[in-house]
Amino acid sequence: MIRIEGIRKRFGPLEVLRGASMSVGRGEVAALIGASGSGKSTLLRCLNGLESHDDGVIEIAGQSLPPRQSPDRPSPAMRALRRRVGMVFQQFNLFPHLSVLQNVMLGPIYAHATPRAEAAERARALLARVGLADKERARPATLSGGQQQRVAIARTLANQPEVILFDEPTSALDPRMTAEVLAVMADLAGEGMTMLVVSHAMGFVRRSAGTVHVFAKGEIVESGPPQQIFEGANHPQTQALLADAEQT
Amino acid sequence: MRRVATLIAIIHATAPTSLVRGDALDELRQRGALVWGGDQEGGGPYVYPDPNDPNRVVGFEVDLADALAAKLGTTAKFFQADWNTLPEFLRAGKIDVILNGYEWSAARAAQMRATRPYYLYELQLLARASDDSILGWEDLRTRAGRRRSVSVLSGSAALTYLRVHWAGDVDIVDYNGNTDAMMQVRNRVHDATLPDLPVALFYRHRPQGQGLKFVGPPVGRGAYVMFVRPEEARLTAALDQAIEALYRDGMLRRIYEKYGIWNGTQATLLETRADAAAKSDGPQGNPGDAGDSTAAVAPEEQAPRGWQVVRNYSGILLKSAGMTFLLSVLSMPIAILIGLLVALGRIYGPAWLRLLLAIYVEVLRGTPVMLQLYVIYFLLPEILPVRLDAMVAAVAGLAINYSAYEAEIYRAGLQAIPRGQMEAALALGLSRGAALRYVIVPQAVRIVVPPVTNDFIALFKDTSICSVIAVTELTKQYNVLANSSGAIVELAGLTALLYLAMSYPLSVAARRLERRMAETATPVPTI
Repeated sequence: MIRIEGIRKRFGPLEVLRGASMSVGRGEVAALIGASGSGKSTLLRCLNGLESHDDGVIEIAGQSLPPRQSPDRPSPAMRALRRRVGMVFQQFNLFPHLSVLQNVMLGPIYAHATPRAEAAERARALLARVGLADKERARPATLSGGQQQRVAIARTLANQPEVILFDEPTSALDPRMTAEVLAVMADLAGEGMTMLVVSHAMGFVRRSAGTVHVFAKGEIVESGPPQQIFEGANHPQTQALLADAEQT
Repeated sequence: MRRVATLIAIIHATAPTSLVRGDALDELRQRGALVWGGDQEGGGPYVYPDPNDPNRVVGFEVDLADALAAKLGTTAKFFQADWNTLPEFLRAGKIDVILNGYEWSAARAAQMRATRPYYLYELQLLARASDDSILGWEDLRTRAGRRRSVSVLSGSAALTYLRVHWAGDVDIVDYNGNTDAMMQVRNRVHDATLPDLPVALFYRHRPQGQGLKFVGPPVGRGAYVMFVRPEEARLTAALDQAIEALYRDGMLRRIYEKYGIWNGTQATLLETRADAAAKSDGPQGNPGDAGDSTAAVAPEEQAPRGWQVVRNYSGILLKSAGMTFLLSVLSMPIAILIGLLVALGRIYGPAWLRLLLAIYVEVLRGTPVMLQLYVIYFLLPEILPVRLDAMVAAVAGLAINYSAYEAEIYRAGLQAIPRGQMEAALALGLSRGAALRYVIVPQAVRIVVPPVTNDFIALFKDTSICSVIAVTELTKQYNVLANSSGAIVELAGLTALLYLAMSYPLSVAARRLERRMAETATPVPTI
C-alpha cells in the first residue's frame, strides 16, 4: 500500500530526510516512532504531497508521487491521490466556520462530487461511529479536544480512503481524551484499515501496531514487530528512544 | 482643489485634443437645447435655487441664457457643475457654453474662445458696518502694527486684483464661496471682503450681507464673458450678435434691473472690448450708480428660517441623499468583489500578477479619488472610444478607488487564517480554488466584516467628491442651498441627520451580521 525508497528532503542547509525507506502492506497498522523534531512528520507529510520531496520513490495507494511537486497547487493526479490517502493532524484543523456535520460532508461534496443527501447520510453514520451523533449541529470550537479529533477522523473517513496517515494525533490531548481517540483508532485498526501512525503513545503502539519503524537522523534505522523492537532493540538509537519513553 | 486642477491641466497638456469637433451651433439647434454650464453654489444673483421651488434655478444668467437661446432659435438648458471645473465640462463636450460670471482673462482666452462681454463688473469692498476704522480703501493699510486681512473668492479676478495692488499691505485669504467670505467678515475673522459688485448688491439686503457696509467706490473693472470651445467660431459669432441685439432692444437692461445689478458702467458695454476692460484698474465708475441701482431691486424674498427651511428644502435634500445612497450601494459591492479578487491574486497568484496588483493597490491608494474621477470621466473618452455617463463614471471611480482599500483588508483577513486550514482542505483532495472558496474565504469574510463596514460608512461621505464630475449628491446640494438661503444651521443639521440616517442602520446591520456569523453555522453551499 505504501512503499518509499531513498527519500531525501532538505530545508535550506538542513537535510531532514536522508534516504529513508520503508513499506506498509494493505490492512497493516504501522507505527513510526522517533525523537521529537527528527523529521517523522515531514516524512508523513511527503506521503500525501503536503511536503514535496527532493529525491526518491514514493508509491502509495497504487499511485506514484514524483519529487518536487507543488504542495499548494495540486495537479489532478495529486488530488486523486489525496482523495485515497486520508490525514489526521495533531492540531485537528477542523473548519471553524462550519458545523460538525458540514466538516464531515465537505470532502465528499467538493472532492468527490457526492450528492448532498448521500454525503449527509454517510457523515451522520460516521459521527455515530466515533460517538458524536448528538454533536452534528455544534461548532468545532464548542467541542473538547478529544471530540474534535474524533470529528477529524470522521472527516477523513468520509472520503473513504484506502490508507490514513496520523500525524501525532494525541499529542495535543490530555490522557482521558487521548484514550477516547485511541479507542476509535484501535477500532479502525481492527476493521482492517491501513494506517501509518506517527505517535509517542507507546502503549497504543505496543497494542495495535503490526510493525514499528524507528526513525532517526533522517532514516529508518530499524523495523519490526513491537515485541521485537520494544524488547530486543539492537540499534543504539532505538534503545535511547525507548529509554526516554520509559522516563516520561 | 486648485492643486488638483493644476495637476489635471498638466495631464491635459499631454493628452490628445478633444474628440468633440462638430459645429456646436447646428448641433444645439438640432437637439433643441443650448446647454450652458454654471454652479448654483453661492450663485446669487447669477444662478441660484429658487427659494420657492428649490428644484428650479433663477438668476440673471438664467434669464440671460433663456433670452440668448431664444435669439438662437432654441431653448436653454442649465448644467450644474463645480465653478472652477466648468472648462473641463466645456472641453469634454458636456456643455456648449460657460455662462457663470467668468471674468475675461488672457489665460482663459488662450484656452477657450471668449464671446463679447455681457456684463461689466467692478469689485466692491465690504467691511463690517460697525467697524468705524475702515471708511475707505486707505484704511486697510497697516496701522499700529496690526495687518488687516481681506477674504475673497478663490480663483476670482478680485483675488488677482488684491494680489497685484495690496499684497504688501494686507493678508489675503481665499474662500470657495462669496457668502463664506462675507460670513467670515461678519464673524470678525477678517476685516473686509471684495466681491464682484453684483454679488455685493444682491446680498446687500439679504441675511448673508447683513451687517456689512460698502466701502469706497467700486474698483477693478472687468468683463464677464461666455466661453465656448476654441473651434466654435460660428457659435461665438451667433452669441455675440445675440448679446448686441438684447442690449439694443433693452432686454438686457430689464434683466439686470430685475436683479438690481444694472449701473451706469453698462452703458459702455457694446464699446468695451473684454481685454481692454480687464486691463483697467484703480477706482473706477461712479459709486452713485451702484447706489441708484439698488433702488431698482425687486422686493426680495424673505429668507426662510427654522421649520420653514425644513419644509422647503427637505424634499430636495432627500432626493440628493437618494443619490448619495445610490452611489454608495452600487459602488461598495463592486469594490468588495474587486478587492477580494485583488487580495487573492496578491497572496496566491504568480509573481508577475502579484507585482501588477501591488502596483494597482499603491497607485489607487496613493492618488486622490478626485483625480481618478477626472481621469475616468474626462480623459478616458479622449483615449478610448467610450463616453461614460457621469453616474457610471462616479460609481466606477468610487468602486475602483475603494477596491484598493478593500484588497488590503482582505489580504490581512486571508493571512490571518492558520496555514493548517488550507492543508486540511488540500489533504481532503480539494483543489486550491475549492479550498479558497469553501474554507479560506468564508473565514476571511468573517474577519473583515467590521473594517469593511467602516469603509462602507466612510464611502457614504466620500461620495461628495462626485460633485467634481457634476453628480449632485447630498453635500453639494447642502452647499448650494446653504449658500443661497443663508439658513446654514438648519440645513447643516438636516444634512447631518440624513447622513446619520444612512450610516447608522448600516452599523447596526453589520453588528447583527457579525453576531449571526459567530453564533450559527451557515449551510454548506451547494456545488
